Amino acid sequence: MGAITIRDVTRRFAGEGQAVLALDGVSLDIDEGAFFTLLGPSGCGKTTLLRIIAGFERPDRGAVRLDGADLVDLPPWRRPVNTVFQSYALFPHMSVLGNVAFGLEMQGVAAALRGERAREALRLVRLEDLAGRRPAQLSGGQQQRVALARALAVRPKVLLLDEPLSALDLKLRKEMQLELKRLKAATGITFVFVTHDQEEALTMSDRIAVMEGGHVLQVGSPREIYEEPAHRFVAGFIGETNFLEGEVAGEGVVRLKGGGRIAAAGLPASGSVTLAVRPERVALVAAEGAQLRGRVLQVVYIGTDSTVMLDTGTDEPFTVRVQNREGGWQPPSPGSTVGVAVPADAARVVAG
Amino acid sequence: MRGWTRGRGLLVLPAVLVLLAFTVLPLCIMAYVSVLERGTYGGVEWGRHTLDAYVAFLFERDLDDSLVLNPDYLKIFARSFGLAAFTTALCLTIGLPTALYMATRAPKRRNLLVFLVTIPFWTNLLVRTYAWILLLRNNGLIDKGLHDLGLASGPLDLLYTPFAIMIGLTYTFLPFMVLPVYASLEKLDWRLVEAAMDLGATRVTAFRRVVLPLSLPGVVAGMVLVFVPCLGAYVAPELLGGAKVLMIGNLIQSQFGAARNWPFGAALAFALLAIVLLAMAFYALRFGAAPGEEKGR
Repeated sequence: MGAITIRDVTRRFAGEGQAVLALDGVSLDIDEGAFFTLLGPSGCGKTTLLRIIAGFERPDRGAVRLDGADLVDLPPWRRPVNTVFQSYALFPHMSVLGNVAFGLEMQGVAAALRGERAREALRLVRLEDLAGRRPAQLSGGQQQRVALARALAVRPKVLLLDEPLSALDLKLRKEMQLELKRLKAATGITFVFVTHDQEEALTMSDRIAVMEGGHVLQVGSPREIYEEPAHRFVAGFIGETNFLEGEVAGEGVVRLKGGGRIAAAGLPASGSVTLAVRPERVALVAAEGAQLRGRVLQVVYIGTDSTVMLDTGTDEPFTVRVQNREGGWQPPSPGSTVGVAVPADAARVVAG
Repeated sequence: MRGWTRGRGLLVLPAVLVLLAFTVLPLCIMAYVSVLERGTYGGVEWGRHTLDAYVAFLFERDLDDSLVLNPDYLKIFARSFGLAAFTTALCLTIGLPTALYMATRAPKRRNLLVFLVTIPFWTNLLVRTYAWILLLRNNGLIDKGLHDLGLASGPLDLLYTPFAIMIGLTYTFLPFMVLPVYASLEKLDWRLVEAAMDLGATRVTAFRRVVLPLSLPGVVAGMVLVFVPCLGAYVAPELLGGAKVLMIGNLIQSQFGAARNWPFGAALAFALLAIVLLAMAFYALRFGAAPGEEKGR
């Protein structure tokens, strides 16, 4: 229960002068019971996709199915899908309990049972003591939990969360992240979570779809998305990345634009390639005999690590991240030349 | 800080002065006039007090000088209340969907629509009411139009009826309903409607359970703004009702004019004021604190 299939969904909005393509042939499979995240910058189409699943928008083309049944022609009030809105959208003229019971009332649940189930939902988010309050009397975090309880009270097959944590401060956000994971485990409902925060996506999701410009660029587990980005945008959006341009020069070897040759896996037979290299996967070595050499521009101390910025002869500085251990290492002085060791599995070929 | 707070009271001084000079003072004069004896040729006999005017509102003197209940003026009051209530209902029926339509347009478009609603204010009320005479009279646009279409035969006699008054009043006061309702709907967070539909409410239910309660302050304001001036309306009953349908406004006017009975005119005005104030007080007590509140369940 709660598996979503999205096929070739396209949605255009009439913009100033020309139409804006919010979604361009998006296809996705969301497994039942998954914590699935749509990750991307603002304007990438993630919220539009969520609204299409909820039924607030209609796709121009394409299919949305829930457990095999087509959703596109169903109005929002007939979909077993509920939304936690970014702004919470709590009804200001109803009590907390009234808010949570609203969906049950719409389902025609008898009044006595309704109160019981609404209280149960409030217990799930640990807010049963505040049942009689008005939304305006609650803090942001409490309102957020009421919105969650309201959506969960009707026991949907899928819970849609539209950047629900973006309005909370950092500490509360961390708490709610754990709370969401706990609720996910307790209910077994499929969660579809929209965020632009890559760290949030990595820590919470079972699977992530990275979106940009109305396209899904890559779908995978957090580990796959981070370690094996298939696309230049994915590598750049999630975590820090160095991009190296070069030509394939023989088997498993790339001759870099700025000079130097490094080994990389999964190369095409020939032609130019872009490699993505995570700063923490490479090491500083002696300049003599190194695959890649650079002049030290700057060393920045950031607590657990230090970042060393190198000029390797390209437009962008090349960043190396070194962990600060006890006893420490002697950071290279700016202006000196150092070598960089790039393991073959650290350099990934990315498209775009 | 305290000095600033004290000085702030001065800001309302001009408004208070205007209200005192042009509302409170005339009301006091009217109250005094209503308890004086009438002058033979209009005006009043200063210094000679009597409650005759209030007595005359409900009773008339029989031949043997005993008081008999006379319902004539109460009937005029009742007719005015009925007409005002119908007009308010009609304004609400037309105004609420209009305001809803306006509030759901794109912001740019909304300003244009608000402007269009206020356009009738640009023309003199008399001119607009005379225009209705041209439309409603026999052989006028509506009468002739329906005849030419074969939908009516014989003169329709639309003009000089309570119906004509109601049309005129509705036309005049519709913006007073549309604008406050629009103002409360425009502030409404439409994501609440999406939330309601998401939780299983159909469009109609979402309107009833979310939009209506939250726009109630505007609806109530609109109803008051239409109902109260309708009660005392003068122009529409005079022109569209002809001499046939007497309403409070015309009755009061006639007392100060042709009937030369100022105290009675003043007493009628106070009776009207008292009824309106009582109705408002009842509303404030009954639904008082905050219209739109819904009890938690």
